[in-house]
Amino acid sequence: MDGSHGKAAGCRIGIDTGGTFTDIVLVGGASDGIQVTKVPSTPENPAIALRRGVEEIVERTGHSIGDVATLCHGTTVATNALLQGEIDNLALIVTEGFRHVLEIARQSVPEGYGNSYFWVKPDRIVPVHRVFEIRERLDFRGNEVRGLDEDSVRDAARLLEKYGLSAVGVCLLHSYANPAHERRVREILEDACPGVTVSLSSDVWPEYREYERAMTTLVDAFVKPVMRRYLSDVSERLPGTLRERPFLVMQSSGGVLSAGQVAAKPISTALSGPAAGVIGARAVGEAAGFKNLITLDAGGTSTDICLVEGGAPQLTTDASIGPFPVRLPMIDIRTVGTGGGSIAWVNREGRLKVGPQSAGASPGPMCYPDGGDAPTITDASAVLGRIPPELIGGGIPLNVERARDGISALGEELGGGLSAERLAAGIIEIANWNQANLIRQMTIERGIDPRDFALLSFGGSGPAQSPAVIELLGIGTCLVPPNPGNLSALGLLMVDYRSDQVFTQVTDQDDLTPAAAAEIYRALETAAVDTLAADGVAAGDITVLRQADIRYQGQSMEVRVEVPGGELTDALLDRMAENFHAAHERTFGYCYRDSQKIELVNFCVSGLGPVPKPELNAGKTVPADFSADFPAPSGTRPVFFGEAWVETPVHLRGNLEPGMRAAGPLVVQEFGSTTVVFPGQPVSVDGNRNLLILPAHGASGQRELGEAP
Amino acid sequence: MRWTPDQEADIALLRERAGTVDPIILQIVEGTLNSIEREIEFAVERTARSPMIREAHDYRVGLFDRFARKLTGRSYSAMPEAVLRDYPPETMKPGDAFFMNDTYDTEGAIGHLPDMCSTVPTFHDGSIVAYIQVFGHHDDIGGKVPGSMPGTALSVFEEGLMIPPIKLYDRGVRNDEAFKIIRRNSRVPEMLEADVDSEMQAILMGSARMTELFERFGRETVEACFQAIFDRTRDIFLNELMPKIANGTYYAEDYVEHDAFTDPLLHKICVTMTKTDGKIVLDFNGTDPQAVGPINWAADYSEGRYLIKWVSPIMRNLADTPERAAEIPCNEGMVDLFEVVFPPKGSLITPIRPAPTNARAFLLLRSLSLFANVLAQAVEGRMPADQETIRYTGFYGYDANGDYFLSREVLGGGGGGRYYADGSDAIHVVPDSRNQPAEYTETQYPLRVERLALAEDSGGAGEFRGGLGYLKEYRPLVDCFTLVSADRVRLGCYGVKGGSSGEPFGVFVDAEGENRKLGGLEDEIPVKSGELMRVETTGGGGWGDPLDRDMEAVRIDVWQGKVSADAAAKAYGVVIAAVEDGEPFIDGAATAALRRKMRAERNTGVPIIDRGAGVETIRLANPGAGELKRYG
Repeated sequence: MDGSHGKAAGCRIGIDTGGTFTDIVLVGGASDGIQVTKVPSTPENPAIALRRGVEEIVERTGHSIGDVATLCHGTTVATNALLQGEIDNLALIVTEGFRHVLEIARQSVPEGYGNSYFWVKPDRIVPVHRVFEIRERLDFRGNEVRGLDEDSVRDAARLLEKYGLSAVGVCLLHSYANPAHERRVREILEDACPGVTVSLSSDVWPEYREYERAMTTLVDAFVKPVMRRYLSDVSERLPGTLRERPFLVMQSSGGVLSAGQVAAKPISTALSGPAAGVIGARAVGEAAGFKNLITLDAGGTSTDICLVEGGAPQLTTDASIGPFPVRLPMIDIRTVGTGGGSIAWVNREGRLKVGPQSAGASPGPMCYPDGGDAPTITDASAVLGRIPPELIGGGIPLNVERARDGISALGEELGGGLSAERLAAGIIEIANWNQANLIRQMTIERGIDPRDFALLSFGGSGPAQSPAVIELLGIGTCLVPPNPGNLSALGLLMVDYRSDQVFTQVTDQDDLTPAAAAEIYRALETAAVDTLAADGVAAGDITVLRQADIRYQGQSMEVRVEVPGGELTDALLDRMAENFHAAHERTFGYCYRDSQKIELVNFCVSGLGPVPKPELNAGKTVPADFSADFPAPSGTRPVFFGEAWVETPVHLRGNLEPGMRAAGPLVVQEFGSTTVVFPGQPVSVDGNRNLLILPAHGASGQRELGEAP
Repeated sequence: MRWTPDQEADIALLRERAGTVDPIILQIVEGTLNSIEREIEFAVERTARSPMIREAHDYRVGLFDRFARKLTGRSYSAMPEAVLRDYPPETMKPGDAFFMNDTYDTEGAIGHLPDMCSTVPTFHDGSIVAYIQVFGHHDDIGGKVPGSMPGTALSVFEEGLMIPPIKLYDRGVRNDEAFKIIRRNSRVPEMLEADVDSEMQAILMGSARMTELFERFGRETVEACFQAIFDRTRDIFLNELMPKIANGTYYAEDYVEHDAFTDPLLHKICVTMTKTDGKIVLDFNGTDPQAVGPINWAADYSEGRYLIKWVSPIMRNLADTPERAAEIPCNEGMVDLFEVVFPPKGSLITPIRPAPTNARAFLLLRSLSLFANVLAQAVEGRMPADQETIRYTGFYGYDANGDYFLSREVLGGGGGGRYYADGSDAIHVVPDSRNQPAEYTETQYPLRVERLALAEDSGGAGEFRGGLGYLKEYRPLVDCFTLVSADRVRLGCYGVKGGSSGEPFGVFVDAEGENRKLGGLEDEIPVKSGELMRVETTGGGGWGDPLDRDMEAVRIDVWQGKVSADAAAKAYGVVIAAVEDGEPFIDGAATAALRRKMRAERNTGVPIIDRGAGVETIRLANPGAGELKRYG
């Protein structure tokens, strides 16, 4: 329990809306530890499941609505609107001469040579005839080359009205350096066409590169009305007193802000749920003593993988939501099509494939009630006895026979006389290799060795497979937290307030004075502090992190480094430069410490405001010894391992106490997830009740990668 | 022949096993091969230093089986044949690594000297099971100009250091004596050394991953999977794509328009394709003699396998849908279905050492256009029209502070129209290559980008219009120089099945004043501060009869500034009656009448290939005896 805030502070509830289930976690109040529940999601209006879940957990834990202090929400409303919504009301305003900025984009064709012949450039988010040029021009320092022609803005406003365009993004050249023209454009638009939603690129993400900034601004403008409607709907549905409580929303960057502030820049929530999962995983992993983690979240439709290095989730500003580049800082999450609902199929050449098509939540795997007609990873797990023959929490039986029939039919299509068991095992094996290959690519891209990391597995379908994945990668530990199906919701309660600010001004190392840098950082820090203060964070509680995006002159990509705190002096700027050389060397294997000049590109500030968090028993992770055996299993069932059925002990997670150990094969069942410990794998329970699973034959004997010849 | 009798027997055995390979292991092996290729790419990108590798992604990875057959097809790559020729596999030891770049001594694997190529054998149980290779375009490998791409080279000796296959690492120990020589020949020795190191480490990592695969599943199984991967690609090409091509003989020619010395002269490359059941013969006889300047391509080695692997992926366009085309894997499996006949030594594609080759990219790209052209003829036009190519433009000089600057940009162009879609606007044929944002250009260089737009009317007219090229306008803020390296400066991309050819490439200096048009290979052209320079890149060819284009699509094109109202009438027979707030409105009756009249006035049916009105005129005016013109 949180010490300083205690039970008197009321309870805090995290709500993570997923595609299949809405997960609810409650801490504090009158209950001990972490309380969880799950309700089916209501995709047509996620607010319904949200309310249902909150009421259910409050009642189940013996609280009243009045005991709830705060709600924190992870939502996919913005993402779903982008990926599923019809985008037909959007316009773009640009500087004269740049009308075709979206059509041209970055000219790149994905993948291999020759694809440009048949690749069709997707329709742009705004067709050219809804892109309006206005007369104005700034240079890259923000100086006016040509003043704003307000009549050209009024012309554009008239056309917005004429064509019924209700949302508009404004992206003027070099507006990151000087937002004055964009702000005046907004005034004119709001005056001329009240009710129109306006997003300014200088507000959404004032960083250079006009195409990416325009896209980020447009998706923000598009999701803004959707998000506002949703958040107000949530607010209306919440029972009485809850409406007065802080309602926080998770951002893709891994921090929260109040619903009110998020509504002003909703694109910051695009990867809200997955980000919460990573934050939850980091907290659990850190409490267990692992600062380097590969987090693996296998849900119904896909698997999300993220690297946490030295306790910090990797961030990226190079992410996309579907086809739309979004340049806001986000936790760097990669996805592979190996969720529980991912479909196994035979392609035109008669080859077996797994994913990326998914049966998702609806119709779902074949073994589910009213399930689909295509065998999935979950069906394979059911056929092999690796998951229990009933749905989450028990009660509803799975139709394992139907799953077996589906996989047998697939086997016939494939030919070669594979038994249903062998084929089911093969489907899972292929999925495991797909995950392992993605993890290898991610770690090589970052220049790190996966064997220095622990694999933290969560999500409904992760822990049934991950202990096999560590064997493929030579990873030393697989960590499965309690309630692995609810880690995203828990993450919502492990997170701080966060506000990210950026300012682009490409500055030569020689031209950078401490005074100039201090002025820029002061402005950014003020903006961050003001944002957090608006959510009620006390000034004294706010931590401000300064960073900078730096590159060697002539490079086109930057590396983000810490700028030390304190008064900006020449010595401090030298330390910043040294941080860059070191980071460059760490990331790329070399640096030009004494031979090349550097330039600053972006000045960045992150403001963090602490939120009281449930304590995860840090420091009590290692029991005195791991001498106790697992208790007698609650039962056994045949599980298919390797080439044969093995009568396998089944343990209930709730019966396992810190310090206990055993060796596979065994299965650990709990509400919402099943962990499979493979034959020969040691497993133990740490002080936080995490399962720690080790490879069957100790540390892997694989050769060093990248060894000199 | 390619194989010894022993190898033939080995491969025959693999073919038998490939039929019964475990489908699960096959899927794992194939997925892992693709992953290893990506992993090596990530490793190179992360640690390379040459901007050409790091920023422009000009490097390629190749994975090969022990018979030097290419396993993956995500990208083109070099080939290990020359290494095996000089260093028989039975003499190779674990830890050996080989290095080469000699255009005339690498069995056609390397097209120009900056592409330096590293090769390692992969061992399992003491014998070689695979080869891993990467080449990267290194920034400077010597020669007469910085950057080692001299447009004015008269011989390969002016283009840089030539390295025939050498053993650079012997059982893990680098040959430092050789390396000293390599370093000394570059203007940026540290960068070159670091890049070679980066590439070597990346393929060694990949080789270790390959060994793991053999350790996990055993040699017999993995090799059977490799064979199954080849056989599947062969079967798709043989059974799905080839039957769409009518048996017969087809001819096409195309041109590189300059070689920097003998302008104006069209350099012709031509092909006669003979298709019979299960076989395609590409005969390049009739191709012009080798050029004086550096546009030659030394392709006539290894029975043309490099050329086959380079052009054959174009056949995927014959698939039933573009989605299907995208999923067809390319690898060595295609090679046996093709045969290449080269002209005698001394032609553009069979040059004799020391003919210069650094600008061979023009011919590489033309060979794609040619193959697509004969295929289009053979399938009654059911192929994409011609698309954009590789070129660059740039500025250099001294900025206001007296610091030297060089801005080079590769701008793409329009894709060809397809029977299912318009050509894509402003794309680039090199995968993942990106343009410069205006906000980047202005921050880095004393240039202002006044306009970044699509060039109106640049795409060839068609039922499916060719994609538009760029119209980009720069205003230098200092006196400086400009440079151009481009082809398709006189002849645009061809149209297919009644579609028109697109507009060619052009650079115009002082566009608001004298408006001087530059040629395709130019350097040291002065541009004054404040003068507007306009670059227009090629539009794609159109596909299908423009008179069949949906009227509403033409209206939207006019609204979007892609087609002028004038061209709407002249090329498409669509009459714009009024324009209100930029929105055009069509006169339906006038359009119907005009389209009727235009159809009636045609004396022939629509051609399968349209080269544009200019082609005959240009050839007549330039009978092939262009005067030798020295540069500079």
